[in-house]
Amino acid sequence: MAEPALPAPRLAARGLSRTFSAEAGVHDVDLEIGPGEIHALVGLNGAGKTTLMRLVLGMLRPHSGDTRLDGRDIRAADAQTWTRVGHLVDHPLAYGELDARTNLALAARLHGVPRSRVNDAVERIVADLDLSRYVTIRARNLSQGNRQRLGLAAALLHHPTVIVLDEPTNALDPAGVILLREILLGRARAGAGILVSSHHLDEVARVADRITVVNHGRTIGALDPGGIDIERAFFRLVHADEANQAGGRPG
Amino acid sequence: MNRAAFTAAIAVESRKTLASRVVITSTVLLVAGIAVLAGSLTWAASTGNEQVLAQMGPMADRTGWDRLMGVVAQVTAAAAVLGFGVTVSWMFGREFTDGTITGLFALPVSRPDIALAKLVIYLAWALVVATVLVLLLGLVGLAIDLGPVTGDVLAALARQHALTGLSAVIAIPAALAATLGRGLLPGIATTIGIVVTAQVVVVAGSGAWFPLAAPALWALEPARVTSTQLALVTVVPVIFVPAILATWRRLQLDR
Repeated sequence: MAEPALPAPRLAARGLSRTFSAEAGVHDVDLEIGPGEIHALVGLNGAGKTTLMRLVLGMLRPHSGDTRLDGRDIRAADAQTWTRVGHLVDHPLAYGELDARTNLALAARLHGVPRSRVNDAVERIVADLDLSRYVTIRARNLSQGNRQRLGLAAALLHHPTVIVLDEPTNALDPAGVILLREILLGRARAGAGILVSSHHLDEVARVADRITVVNHGRTIGALDPGGIDIERAFFRLVHADEANQAGGRPG
Repeated sequence: MNRAAFTAAIAVESRKTLASRVVITSTVLLVAGIAVLAGSLTWAASTGNEQVLAQMGPMADRTGWDRLMGVVAQVTAAAAVLGFGVTVSWMFGREFTDGTITGLFALPVSRPDIALAKLVIYLAWALVVATVLVLLLGLVGLAIDLGPVTGDVLAALARQHALTGLSAVIAIPAALAATLGRGLLPGIATTIGIVVTAQVVVVAGSGAWFPLAAPALWALEPARVTSTQLALVTVVPVIFVPAILATWRRLQLDR
């Protein structure tokens, strides 16, 4: 009897490479995030996490390799495919002259939420991220942490099934970190595939199903989210890679 | 083009434009600035102020509405291109300087849709500016008692309306420069380049065959500019609008 077909990964990258100079960039990276999975990228500053996220979202074109969303190559992705994607990479999608509510309403339109459902979507995400005190405040007057919450709200309000967040806990207060954690776990339970990057190994260990370590633009191993000393395991991988690379360089 | 996506892009860009201090300031400076400057120069000339008359050059020989509209056309030729160029540079360049460009990727609304919506809103705003300016000029002319509004005056006001609108068209290359240069300043530099080039080429004698100069020459002296020469202004959007859309389609965050 034929086995039932597995659902396509929410996000799958194969052999992604994009080189900026001899060493900088991302080199031959494979990545897969299934439905209901939270996949974390960890690495030192400049390791290539943001570049990798830009590649899987089409912000950069790879020199080789491809990315698929629900089985569809992003180079041929239609509007319907992109309505299922939510992301926050680098800067929040927030215009300083507009208040938080208007920013969210515009983000909803850009993510394909029908006009009749924009208000509902905005009200729900405002409640989820506890932004109600700030909805009438212009984005430029928000604290950095609340602007980050606004950016996360803009990325999540349309209930995407592919979520890509670069350092999402940056500038968040502890309450914001907990709110985000609960939202991500809830979205994963509902079937979303989530890719996050972070420097905070403890936080990553709390939410991620898989942790991939990135160094010098390459994936160099995985960490066990349930491991006892995840920080030590991380540095062991990074130092081994550094030693490996130093050994490979001409003296 | 996905119609729903483009409608969303128009809604988003119009909301951003209405809330923008840059656009509001540009509107006030363009409308009030041009009307007040041209009105006060015309009034000063009508009182026999010799310094102003000396500055006016050929316009000093004109009288009444004819003089006002000539002065307005001269001022508009430079000031409107500059004002429109700065605004369109901001509309495109701010996405890069504010960092919001990353949020405009991976959306059902494509980047060419967003860029086209920006241009549509920009040109619609320019038409509003042109209309309000013409209405204000009519009031200024009546206020400084330039005489009755004849058919010739109405024709001159209509040419002024067209000149203001065409000035916005001429400034469109600034949007491409702001995109390629990832910010406001390359767009402003391009705008200044457009203004200076138009002035130099006219002085050099190419006249109305140069598309960037044709609208102003036509507003000043309609008989000396043919419809073919004026139609050449369409070369600017025909070249630059597809170039802007292609640049936004091919955009990468690689620097």
